[in-house]
Amino acid sequence: MSDRLTNALGRKVVSRTTAEELGDLVQIVIDVKRRQVTSLVVGKGRKALLVDWEQISGFGPDAVMVADDDALHPPRDDHEEAAADGKLELIGKRTLSDAGNALGEISDVIFDTDSGAVETLVIGDRELPAKSLLGVGSYAAVVTAPKAG
Amino acid sequence: MRLLVTGSAIRGLPVVTIDGGEDVAEVRDVIYNPEAGHIVGLTLNKRGFLAGRRREVLSAHTIHAIGRDAVMVDDESSLILPEDAPADVGAPPPGRDVTGNEVLTEGGASLGEVKDIVVLVGSNGEVVGYEIDTASGGTGYIPLPSQLAVSGSALVVPDATKDFVEHDLVGLGAAVDDFRSRLGLR
Repeated sequence: MSDRLTNALGRKVVSRTTAEELGDLVQIVIDVKRRQVTSLVVGKGRKALLVDWEQISGFGPDAVMVADDDALHPPRDDHEEAAADGKLELIGKRTLSDAGNALGEISDVIFDTDSGAVETLVIGDRELPAKSLLGVGSYAAVVTAPKAG
Repeated sequence: MRLLVTGSAIRGLPVVTIDGGEDVAEVRDVIYNPEAGHIVGLTLNKRGFLAGRRREVLSAHTIHAIGRDAVMVDDESSLILPEDAPADVGAPPPGRDVTGNEVLTEGGASLGEVKDIVVLVGSNGEVVGYEIDTASGGTGYIPLPSQLAVSGSALVVPDATKDFVEHDLVGLGAAVDDFRSRLGLR
């Protein structure tokens, strides 16, 4: 099922084995080349931890269920570190076309909650297929230039 | 209709990596080859207010695109030291500044003096025109053919250019293709 990131953010993350609430979904981490959600950031600041997409047993409308409490881990590489620090925040991220023109800010990301596939980027009121996404960094998200952009 | 940007508007633009989305530098100045009608490279500053100069440069062939809001490069390896860059970029010959040059038509009419270059947005530095101080005192924009005679103090443009003196970049963007097809260039 497709869901919007703006709907999913803030959803509680719960351990399936202990029914313990582990925190709130703060951010998704995406692999741009695979157009895939690879992990979720749970909690903010120093307490920010990540959970790999494979560890999610159910991404539901009211809660994100993970296998167990141990599924959460601290950042393992620079990319996860940047994500945990909030530098890869997608909503509100400046976008640039690969022609070097600003297209506005990302207002939403639509993804499949079963597979984690990123489907659509919403930039202002324009929707771009996920395959337009070329890179995401602390400064900007870069997308293939749409026609006349 | 083509989107255009002046050389002075390129200065200060962030240099952004396509695969990383990071602003790795900003444009300090434009290195222009007037004979070729093309930007050959860019010198760089560090990113941020008063952050100072970066020794690395960008050569046109490693620039993905110059836009209105950023200069796009594939990744940070596009930034190279001047000694590793083509001589045109690493040690540009003097006398290439066209600012102040008189623009003369082949028929001998002066159209004004060059103020700035006009670059095609999305290209890696194709200069399609000049901003000029017109002989009558205002600012005008003229399209360029791909090649033209440049002496260091004046440049000679086709007679047809005088029919294409535009008042703004939008006008020039619309005129560039007409001008070139009139000259049989495309």
